[in-house]
Amino acid sequence: MADEKISTPLLDELEKGPWPSFVREIKSAAQTSPMARDLLGQLELSYEEKVGHWKHGGIVGVRGYGGGVIGRYSDVPEKFPNVAHFHTLRVNQPAGWFYTSQALRTLCDIWERHGSGLTNMHGSTGDIIFLGTKTDELEPTFSELTQAGFDLGGSGSDMRTPSACVGPARCEWACYDTLKLCYDITMEYQDELHRPAFPYKFKIKCAGCPNDCVASIARADLSIIGIWKDDIQQDDEAVAEYVANGLDIQADVVERCPTRCMQWDGKKLTINNRDCVRCMHCINVMPKALRPGKERGAVLLLGAKAPIIQGAILSSVLIPFVPEEELFDTVKELLSRVWEFWDEYGMNRERVGELIQRVGMANFLDAIGLDPVPEMVSHPRDNPYVFYKVDEEQSEQ
Amino acid sequence: MATEATKRLTDIGPPHYEKFLPPIIKRNYGKWLYHERLAPGVMCHVAESGEKLYTVRAGSPRLLSVHTIRKIADLADKYCNGYVRFTSRNNIEFLLEDPSKIEDLKKDLQALGFPVGGTNNAISNVVHTQGWVHCHSAATDASGLVKSVMDALYERFTHEDLPAKLRLAVACCLNMCGAVHCSDIAILGVHRRPPRILHDLLPKVCEIPTVVASCPTGAIRARTVDGKQTVEVIEQQCMYCGNCYTVCPAMPLNNPQTDGVSIWVGGKVSNARSKPRFSKLAIPYLPNNPPRWPEVVEAVVKIVDVYAKHARKYERMGEWIDRIGWPRFFELTGIPFTRYHIDDFKHAGLTYNRSTHLKF
Amino acid sequence: MAIPIEQLAEEMYQMVVEYHGKKNLKASDLTKAMIAKYGEDQVSKEDCKQAIRQLIDSGRCVYSYLGGSYITLPKKDSAAPE
Repeated sequence: MADEKISTPLLDELEKGPWPSFVREIKSAAQTSPMARDLLGQLELSYEEKVGHWKHGGIVGVRGYGGGVIGRYSDVPEKFPNVAHFHTLRVNQPAGWFYTSQALRTLCDIWERHGSGLTNMHGSTGDIIFLGTKTDELEPTFSELTQAGFDLGGSGSDMRTPSACVGPARCEWACYDTLKLCYDITMEYQDELHRPAFPYKFKIKCAGCPNDCVASIARADLSIIGIWKDDIQQDDEAVAEYVANGLDIQADVVERCPTRCMQWDGKKLTINNRDCVRCMHCINVMPKALRPGKERGAVLLLGAKAPIIQGAILSSVLIPFVPEEELFDTVKELLSRVWEFWDEYGMNRERVGELIQRVGMANFLDAIGLDPVPEMVSHPRDNPYVFYKVDEEQSEQ
Repeated sequence: MATEATKRLTDIGPPHYEKFLPPIIKRNYGKWLYHERLAPGVMCHVAESGEKLYTVRAGSPRLLSVHTIRKIADLADKYCNGYVRFTSRNNIEFLLEDPSKIEDLKKDLQALGFPVGGTNNAISNVVHTQGWVHCHSAATDASGLVKSVMDALYERFTHEDLPAKLRLAVACCLNMCGAVHCSDIAILGVHRRPPRILHDLLPKVCEIPTVVASCPTGAIRARTVDGKQTVEVIEQQCMYCGNCYTVCPAMPLNNPQTDGVSIWVGGKVSNARSKPRFSKLAIPYLPNNPPRWPEVVEAVVKIVDVYAKHARKYERMGEWIDRIGWPRFFELTGIPFTRYHIDDFKHAGLTYNRSTHLKF
Repeated sequence: MAIPIEQLAEEMYQMVVEYHGKKNLKASDLTKAMIAKYGEDQVSKEDCKQAIRQLIDSGRCVYSYLGGSYITLPKKDSAAPE
């Protein structure tokens, strides 16, 4: 039975064509894993029937942790017994997704011994995903992972695995050390990562500049985005070099500036830095000539989420600038206040962004003890239904 | 003490990233000056020290077997002293000190089937979800859609000839685990019928007040069926979000006849030029047609081609549409505008055109 | 007088048993119940956190997930095959 070759005419179609094929990957794993072989069979069935065949389970995990394992069972276990249980482990990735070949091979060896041999490098949140194993294999996999220096990431109502862009490791635009902050936050909150105690998930992403290569503003409850306060560093010789090499600086830089804060007189580029919104466009176009300023740090934004439940939200500004050296302490202080309030008032499955919408940003700011600043809004309210706090005004008089 | 070596470890966290940084990166950490684009998929970062680091980026299918990862590790050994990294969009990056090795590495990657590209004004790799490979609520298969679409857009990955960056994403249901909602083109699996209610199972596995509370539109009510405490769904109020199914497995939404795919355009995450924004609905429904989803592939290729032809340099999809307007977008792409394109959820009114700004 | 962690864990366990099959309890439900019962001067959130950890580490309770994370009695997954 195990040696029986599964016929997969539909999936075979997806081995054709130039883009690397996931079917080829499953077949590769299937050479050594009966689980991967049955996954192939069940997936072919899904392609035939146009419907998925997985059920979600909720009890499985490793001892002591409430996150890191996603329970999954086949709804056709009689046909595909090797994927009757097919749970996912989320393994906390190293910050910035750097590896040595030795570390990769260690992960491969562990997963080949205990699971399907299939992975995602990486999952949407950033973890290494070990795709599919039986309940009995969870604890042995975890044991070998920790012996090798790896640990599980988050799932459920906990702090999810933080992630970071490549940052100062290979990017001249990193306005703070994203890898270090990501690592420090991950280590500081191991308990929050592994033992779910929140109303729902909480994601943190560290992006080094406003290009936001980790999509933190769209995907993280707390988005930490690098920014600078002083003037763009400008190298006029390098500007001239770009122009000499054919850059249409007027059309492609000056006129693309969202605040029209720069001028080109044919020889010299002049930037009115007071009007600059630090969008990165001119820097992206001329990386050799323009660089972020020297007074660097990050803006802290709060509240992003995907549509479930009350609609998608982008993060919005909470603290416009935190100097790099104060970043970790400020994030810790902010998280303790935000989590305290969310813990107290958040409903089941209510993300922080949704809670803020429900109670109102002003009330939320009161609760976490933060003063309102105009950077928090795109414009002041335009509706006159203001909840005045009359008592406060009277006591002032 | 004999048990010391096998003591159960918890809460050790991930390995420290410094262990995995190549020496050239450690030497120049935080001291990079600028970078240059050498070819599609190839970058050179120059440090204050004058040292140069060459990056070769290759697309992967995200779903990788251990056998393939070992081959990646072999390439890292052969070319990069054993160091390699992955990007936030499922690309693999090889970091070299010696530029004379780049061409050989590219040949080896080619032989393994990994395309080199995805930088600058190319389509980068696709961020996507699990689909039928591993998800319980998938309305479609994410990996199959990605493979089909990227086969057709392969040249857009290996060449940097678009007006600007183009970010594609696939999510297999409205949960949008991949947070596709801020992509230039988002392909999104959709359910279009209310959940079935398994009345026999529901009382055993679900908590009724939680199920009732889970519905964002209040469409679920407690009800007794054949003496069993269960629920009913007011079908007119259901928008097929699947939230109830996530808290209650006895309310599956999957429906092979009516599930399918929608397409959304014009979102972005970066702050460059314009602010980050959500993608907007372009096509409300295309059929699930595995294994190759020809209707979806055709629609996506058409949108990319029209964008490539009409957008100006540095205009992302959404910025291009800002300039030409939505009526012209629908006209140029030949996509019909329907009642489904007009929002009717919260704050829908904000999306109406409350002006006489019109183009003819 | 602070309430001993063992006592909190035991009372939390009794609560999980009592609600089993009726209502899924979250960590915060257990914490809030203990603080409501004894007052903040006798029970802190940190005490409750430790009590929950004791319950879970001892295997008397496990985490479950159903659209949110709960604390429940160890049992077979309802989705698991027979």
